[in-house]
Amino acid sequence: MKAIQEFTKGIIKENPVFVMALGLCPTLAVSTSVQNAIGMGAAATFVLLCSNIFISLIKNFIPSKVRIPCFILVIASFVTIVDMAMEAYVPPLHKSLGIFIPLIVVNCIILGRAEAFASKNGVFRSMLDGLGMGLGFMLAIIIIASIREILGVGTILDIRILPASYKPMIVAILPPGAFITIGLLMGLLNIFQNKKKSKA
Amino acid sequence: MKDFIRPALVLLVICLISGAILAFIYQQTAPLIAENKLKAEEAARILVMPDAEFFKPVSDSSEVLYYEGYNADSTLVGYIFSCVQYGYSSDVKTIVGLTPELMINAITVVSQAETPGLGANCTREDFTAQFTGKNPDNIYVDKDGGDIQSLTGATITTRAVTNAIRETFQKLRDRL
Amino acid sequence: MDFSTLFLIIIGSIFINNFVIHRFLGLCPYIGVSKNMDSAFGMGMAVIFVMTMASTITWLIYTFFLNKATSIFGLDLTFLRTIAFILSIAVLVQFVEMVIKKAAPELYKALGIYLPLITTNCAVLGVSILNINSFFKIDGTPVSASFIKSIIQGASAGVGFTLVLVLMAGIRERLEYSKVPKSMKGMPISFIIAGCMALAFLGFSGMKF
Repeated sequence: MKAIQEFTKGIIKENPVFVMALGLCPTLAVSTSVQNAIGMGAAATFVLLCSNIFISLIKNFIPSKVRIPCFILVIASFVTIVDMAMEAYVPPLHKSLGIFIPLIVVNCIILGRAEAFASKNGVFRSMLDGLGMGLGFMLAIIIIASIREILGVGTILDIRILPASYKPMIVAILPPGAFITIGLLMGLLNIFQNKKKSKA
Repeated sequence: MKDFIRPALVLLVICLISGAILAFIYQQTAPLIAENKLKAEEAARILVMPDAEFFKPVSDSSEVLYYEGYNADSTLVGYIFSCVQYGYSSDVKTIVGLTPELMINAITVVSQAETPGLGANCTREDFTAQFTGKNPDNIYVDKDGGDIQSLTGATITTRAVTNAIRETFQKLRDRL
Repeated sequence: MDFSTLFLIIIGSIFINNFVIHRFLGLCPYIGVSKNMDSAFGMGMAVIFVMTMASTITWLIYTFFLNKATSIFGLDLTFLRTIAFILSIAVLVQFVEMVIKKAAPELYKALGIYLPLITTNCAVLGVSILNINSFFKIDGTPVSASFIKSIIQGASAGVGFTLVLVLMAGIRERLEYSKVPKSMKGMPISFIIAGCMALAFLGFSGMKF
């Protein structure tokens, strides 16, 4: 696979949320506002990038038997770093993301990429893979968050999109809205995939 | 046995390295975090009592009960206390500023995780402004016979804010 | 012992703040394992056990090693919380896997890869951290009966997870015989169902005792 494809595959073809259904918990929980979506996406991408690079660097020193605990240790360390940094430098974002910052460590995407890719490939490709998957993840949350925020509040990033007379559909920012939005989006994706398949 | 030593050693080394790095970063960020907390509390106090220049805490043996606000020439400008009560889905914490005559100067909700779009609107100016000038001893939500207008679809959150202020004030009144 | 507080914790974790439908913790197995009721129930039982044990172990680790106010070292090691918790959960799940393999091999086969995946179940780490946030004051001192409350919250969270998982499995079993549009088959329709369930559970919010 060409190097650049390692990067782009994570964004559309193998999008971790819509295609591989990984990392659902933070995606749905954090998509109540686009600001939270960007914050979570950035934090997760940072952890994914660092852990991919680091694991790719030390992959030859890790005995296969304890590789999963080692991966978890590395990922947890980066997550703790991000947690502390966010609490110190962006306290309001840290408060809105709350428990989902430490939960980045159990985000299936990060452990999944470490196991499936970083432990078997070189540093440069692992870096591209991490960046691509992370951006794909962030893109997915932003799409869902945009829909939920517009319907539920009428704004995106505190910029009013719908007129003030719009009576917000509050269920969109409540849990049911999250599930229904992602369900409909996945259904939409399937329609496109099926059309593509029938054309081919 | 050898089969077991190498993996354990690798794990231990990674543990130690990560522990050391994290301890270092913790030392760098902990003072910033503590400072942020204090800044946020100070900002809330200034919000409910803009005339005050500095604040003096009044405590009993274990905790701060309330703050006295003084202006530049050390005249008492008012009192500030915090109160908390569980609302619909979270604790709602409010900071209240009182005039020296013990009427509400202003309030601000500093912490809540109520329903977005409904109870979460308790942080908005157009909700908290109605508390200004009221007697904290006698505030009740309109549904309970008082004159505090409840938020649309969020009577429970409104009640949490109102009752917290009233009950904490009644507890502190003798000390003020 | 204040039984009404414990009751509130139990009802709260199962219905009002259900871990899957309200807190969004534990979604991957919720969508992945809920295809038939037997495996859903087996998974649920395993998760209840792991969550209860995890709550116990993480509380002990936090109180005696990490929390400055109560630790035997007297050092503030709270920044090691994430690492310590996730590692102990990983060890716990490994242990549970070994036990199930010996004691109930059919269940072991049925759960397949989803058993070690309980380690990455957000709900397990989530409830451990939630216990610390709920039952320790800001200065680090535990509230009264914090240990018992943590264990009960862990167990109830697991029960809530199992409840929603089994409900979903029941619905999906019936769904096999319904006409679902082709593009919605599989995950999309499961999410829509989850949305309807979330809507129903929303009715529990604001319950007061």
